[in-house]
Amino acid sequence: MYEGSISVIKIRNVLLVTVPPDPDDELINQLQERVLQILDQSKAKGVIMDISTVDILDSFFAHTLVETAKMIALMGGRTIISGMNPSVAVTATQLGLTFGDIDTELDVDSALDRMEASED
Amino acid sequence: MAFTPLEEGFEFVPIKTESDIVRSRKVIRTLASKMGFRLTDVTRIVTAASELARNIYKYADQGQMCYRELQINGKLWLELVFEDQGPGIEDVEMAMGEGYSSSGSLGLGLPGTKRLVDEMEIESEAGVGTRITLRKKV
Repeated sequence: MYEGSISVIKIRNVLLVTVPPDPDDELINQLQERVLQILDQSKAKGVIMDISTVDILDSFFAHTLVETAKMIALMGGRTIISGMNPSVAVTATQLGLTFGDIDTELDVDSALDRMEASED
Repeated sequence: MAFTPLEEGFEFVPIKTESDIVRSRKVIRTLASKMGFRLTDVTRIVTAASELARNIYKYADQGQMCYRELQINGKLWLELVFEDQGPGIEDVEMAMGEGYSSSGSLGLGLPGTKRLVDEMEIESEAGVGTRITLRKKV
């Protein structure tokens, strides 16, 4: 993975998406398209968006994440956001960003557990 | 009619393309870290810069972000000025109200940005443009 790339890998029945620390708008738009396309091809049950490496989450990025989660839901999948770092959480809250009803987890591990539990 | 010229000591980043938004974030992250802001404050300032740089790109097509360090009563401040010659904000008071967004994106913007810094001033006039000044103390 080179700097500035999105990675999407399939673990069990789930797609794990990781993004670079400071993605530009174009990359964020690509992320949406790629995730939906790979979800369709791979027949995964859900998507974990791991943002533990992200150190800036502005309204555009947040808006695209929420939108992507809605699209994933329309396709029949579920989305969990994992790993938001404390500074990003503080800033997002004060900025007034809303994440709808997307589930969140501390890290990828607990996100995978939650995905698995919801399959039973 | 134009805004009063900026004082001495500013450096600037032009905002013309989408990639200039990332560039302004990088410049401010480097400067704020160097000035000694703690991590959460760096994140706040960089996020505020990202919001205002994007507003310029989205509503005014182009403009610039000016920045400088300031000493006020022995305290170090970071001052950022976002300027454009765009259409201007029709009703600044309304734009500062919670839940207002002229693009209908997320219903936020200026009020949220204001919460991330210590001081924020807006000058805007139809036919002149918009100048938004942010200040944060280390």
